[in-house]
Amino acid sequence: MKVLEIKNVHKIYNSSEVKVHAVNGITLGFEKGEFAAIVGPSGSGKTTLLNMIGGLDRPTEGEILVDHTNLATLKSTALIDFRMRHIGFVFQSYNLIPVLTARENVEFIMNLQKWNKKKKEQRTFELLKAVGLEDRINSRPSKLSGGQQQRVAVARALASKPKFVLADEPTANLDSKSTETLLEIMEQLNRDEGITFIFSTHDARVMKKARRVITIEDGKVISDQHK
Amino acid sequence: MIWKTAWKNVWRNKVRSLVVIISVTIGIFGGVFAVAVMNGAIEQRVDAALNEEVSHIHINDPGFRDNYDIQMTIPQLPEIMQTVRSTPGVEAVAPRVIITGMANTATKSVGVQILAIDPEREKEVFRLSETTLPGTGDFFETESRNNLAYIGQDLAKELNIIRYMVDESVLASLRENQVPEAILEKLEPFKGVRFKSEKAFKKEMRSILSAREQKEYGRVIREAAWSFRERSRMTLTFLDRNQVQTGAMFRIAGIYDIKNNMFEMSQVFVKNSDLMNLTGLGPDEVHQLIVRLVDIEETEQVTESLAGQMPGLEVMHWKTLQPDLAMMTDLVQQFYTIFMIVILAALAFGIVNTMLMVVLERTKELGMLTAIGMNKKKVFSMIMLESIFLSMVGGIAGMGVSQLLISATAEKGINFSSYEEGFEAMGYSAHIFPEISPLFFVLVTILIILTGILSSIYPALKALKLDPADALRTE
Repeated sequence: MKVLEIKNVHKIYNSSEVKVHAVNGITLGFEKGEFAAIVGPSGSGKTTLLNMIGGLDRPTEGEILVDHTNLATLKSTALIDFRMRHIGFVFQSYNLIPVLTARENVEFIMNLQKWNKKKKEQRTFELLKAVGLEDRINSRPSKLSGGQQQRVAVARALASKPKFVLADEPTANLDSKSTETLLEIMEQLNRDEGITFIFSTHDARVMKKARRVITIEDGKVISDQHK
Repeated sequence: MIWKTAWKNVWRNKVRSLVVIISVTIGIFGGVFAVAVMNGAIEQRVDAALNEEVSHIHINDPGFRDNYDIQMTIPQLPEIMQTVRSTPGVEAVAPRVIITGMANTATKSVGVQILAIDPEREKEVFRLSETTLPGTGDFFETESRNNLAYIGQDLAKELNIIRYMVDESVLASLRENQVPEAILEKLEPFKGVRFKSEKAFKKEMRSILSAREQKEYGRVIREAAWSFRERSRMTLTFLDRNQVQTGAMFRIAGIYDIKNNMFEMSQVFVKNSDLMNLTGLGPDEVHQLIVRLVDIEETEQVTESLAGQMPGLEVMHWKTLQPDLAMMTDLVQQFYTIFMIVILAALAFGIVNTMLMVVLERTKELGMLTAIGMNKKKVFSMIMLESIFLSMVGGIAGMGVSQLLISATAEKGINFSSYEEGFEAMGYSAHIFPEISPLFFVLVTILIILTGILSSIYPALKALKLDPADALRTE
């Protein structure tokens, strides 16, 4: 069952007199439960593609269907709501809210979705336990290591049980041990929760773990390998 | 969650937030306390005016106030008095004969308004009797003696009825009032010298004291050196009902001090029983009835009721008699509101600046929040709440400090004795008791919340314009 379909997507940036074709006719499909990496050199269009998949940017041409909903047809407010309910994000620099504890960061999206207290607490504890941070539940990000912060970010991304999680260079700021731990946790969650993970990465360790590697160059898919 | 996050965000940069909070605290404290002092002064002025000078309602012949014609008395006085007394809301009524004349002593003559009153009834309407300076007489209590007058302190000074002399008891009293020994030494050569007028005494003081010393201690010295010439007399001259010049000698049986120079200078009270023989007016011929109400809030209603019952007479309440007082009481709240709005508007610029910095510093975080699904309404609310919290914390602290200082000064008041003459020239007391209504604090709280909301609009709109993809790319 496809959770995400990308159909002939183009993204053209018009900066002054120069047109930049960042994404040039990409067509891809992702099944439920995939653990995929989009790789390619800097400027190849990975992040642009990821932004369009995540509804942060709109394609110039083509369609992005998430569970049969075309993101291009959604208005700004509806798109924000759609992101909140169906897409999880993990960022390169964690992007946790520094004034909130690990628990509060994970609960944040559930609060936006008005989950009831009991259900919210249960889900938060379950996720923080899954990422191995049940003993740091009340720690603020400043008291956590980079690896721990990224694990909280993963827990936050999964909090609302999204259709898929987009992770933009999630290991770029982590040491090898933290990277290893994080990847194991994400792989485990992918199996346990059946949530699709799509990474944009340069990291060979991520590519090694990924069960599908899509290579992009000059805005085009040049290879799509399933392991 | 938005509230909690916004509150925590306020304390993210403690120093910056504290700078804003302290500036709001100082601004609100300054505004509220200044309003309390102004309000206290005005309340005291209105209270004094109603209880010592004007009363609540005046009833007289419609033409009387134009030229104070002695012939324009109130007809059928006993019936009218009865009607007024039985009108609901009326506490007391007192009759007055009002004549324009001259007060003369051997050295001075001053134009005055002579108010012939019934002391017992007058006391029911006014508390002027309570302002009598100790040792100057008992006009309101003495029944047996004839031709007594009750005059203001400033008129007494003008007529040289008050004299000045420095003696041992004066020096001892000044010592008690913490006047420095150096000043007392300067006063020594004048011990036992009697000055006939305030002007002469001031002249001598100027020759021995510096300008600073005079400003600081001049008034205290004059107050202590002041003495009333017992058994002082003055002649009151005026035209009787036949327009024939008449007059008589009156003994000063009391000097009042009401902190209103103009009133003190011009209003001379005598007993109607003494003046009747001179004016030729009968016991039931008076020019004016002054009325005291049970509740000042019923002024307009009772005035209307009285006017309806006595169509041939002019019935006026204090607001029309003293429009300046009415303006003060009616417009003062609006003035205070404008005053606070100006202060808060100035503070708002500081808050806007801080909130703009907040948005700029948190561009990436705001981008992340939008990316993960925080809608524009919630982002706007969060920025607005942060701004409101900043304003409210400072505002509450400012109101708290103001209330503490108002409570601390409410009992003893603040004495602006250096400016006493200026205050009294305008009819105000220089000893002000700050006072503010709890409603004003409610108004200030609403204004602070509004300031917080308005200050957040521009920074919050900036935050809404952020594109999440671009914001996430910022470092």
